[in-house]
Amino acid sequence: MKNSKIFTENLYLHYGSKMALNNINLAIPEKKVTALIGPSGCGKSTYLRTLNRMNDLIDSVKIEGNISIDGINIYDKNIDVVNLRKKVGMVFQKSNPFAKSIFENVAYGPRINGISDKNQLTEIVEKALQNAAIWDEVKDRMNDSALGLSGGQQQRLCIARTLAVNPEIILMDEPASALDPISTSKIEELIVQLKENYTIVIVTHNMQQAARISDMTAFFYIGELIEYDKTKNIFTNPEKKQTEDYITGRFG
Amino acid sequence: MEQHRIFDNELEKLTRKVTQMCELVNQQVDNTLHALVNCDKELADQIIENDVLVDKLDVKIDKLCQNIFALQQPVASDLRFILSSLKINNDLERTGDHAVSIAKRIDAIADYPDILEELGIPEVCDSTTLLFKDVVNLVKTHNLVLSSDIFSNAAEIKDKCHEISNKILEEMMQKSEVIVGATNIMVITNLIERIASYSTNIAESIVFVVEGKIVKHKKKFYESLDENKLDEED
Repeated sequence: MKNSKIFTENLYLHYGSKMALNNINLAIPEKKVTALIGPSGCGKSTYLRTLNRMNDLIDSVKIEGNISIDGINIYDKNIDVVNLRKKVGMVFQKSNPFAKSIFENVAYGPRINGISDKNQLTEIVEKALQNAAIWDEVKDRMNDSALGLSGGQQQRLCIARTLAVNPEIILMDEPASALDPISTSKIEELIVQLKENYTIVIVTHNMQQAARISDMTAFFYIGELIEYDKTKNIFTNPEKKQTEDYITGRFG
Repeated sequence: MEQHRIFDNELEKLTRKVTQMCELVNQQVDNTLHALVNCDKELADQIIENDVLVDKLDVKIDKLCQNIFALQQPVASDLRFILSSLKINNDLERTGDHAVSIAKRIDAIADYPDILEELGIPEVCDSTTLLFKDVVNLVKTHNLVLSSDIFSNAAEIKDKCHEISNKILEEMMQKSEVIVGATNIMVITNLIERIASYSTNIAESIVFVVEGKIVKHKKKFYESLDENKLDEED
């Protein structure tokens, strides 16, 4: 595929003896939104976590195959995982702000990356909050605790925290599943805006959300990639019956 | 699963209503062509009266589709089925209107059964009646074998109608006293041609439901384009 940012080739992942990903081949395009869909336990979140090596933290995991970002194999032994995770940021299902001020939440990443100049940090924090579409709501309360924000605001703050370390890829694991429709809509608008500058991979159980915001959709089932195509093809005329059955709710 | 049962019930209801609409319009077409060939004014009045039933069902189907879109967010084959149901409903309603327009002119041409015979209109009426029966079967069964028959039979009927219209035109140019009667017959011929055209549209919609392929306008320009490129043009 032209302009692919992430290439996955012959990827297998086992949790102990249990195979969680079975021969995944996938090319994720740059500066587009790619949605991963499928029933619980299908491997979509596991796959998402292979893209910034979050699965390395689990002892029993065994990975075979290749994942390359910008042509570099991220499972090469010389790869610095911390740098990889700077380049490939992640937003989780449940917002997880630190018990610190709004400013400190966003400044945390740049600070541990060695930026200590107050003016520079202020500039980075402001820009990240603006890009995460939350600046107007928090600019007058930067020193208040982040835990006082609403769920939707906390999630956008976490997106700002991810943006502050200047990633190229953002992984999102059901980022709006715990939010009300208005907050969900704000997150979705934000994702569509962010794809101008970032490559986004999102796991979602919400079919309509995948249809609304993604350019490409990958359908996973029992560890296999069943179908991968433009989102409009998947949702109007999928090729595989399993995809059709899943997205129309006739599964199982 | 409860949500899905509601959705399936709505889809079944839509299927029933579209089939009902198809049978009703088929009856209107069948009757109007029969009334035309037999100059049956009483039957023509009945067709005009029954149009309200077609109109009512048209509105019901529109509302049903609107509700499914708003409440169930259909995708894939469900989406194609509901989109096509809207289009088929519209084509059937227009076909019903044409049946009524023919019925309204039967009185004006009742004195010229021999001319209808001479022009070959009864044969075109028979072919159109059979064509529409195939349309009803296609809508009920989604058996695409019928669609290719419909495409070729409708094309033949349209050619025959153009032929008849040309003959009438020649006659009108030679004998000015036939203009009023001939114009009515010409309008009727055009309405039959339109009914054949709507049959083609309906068959194209069923191909879209079953295969997801857009086959309309194919002869004119579509062969050289792929659907993805059409999307990208905007």
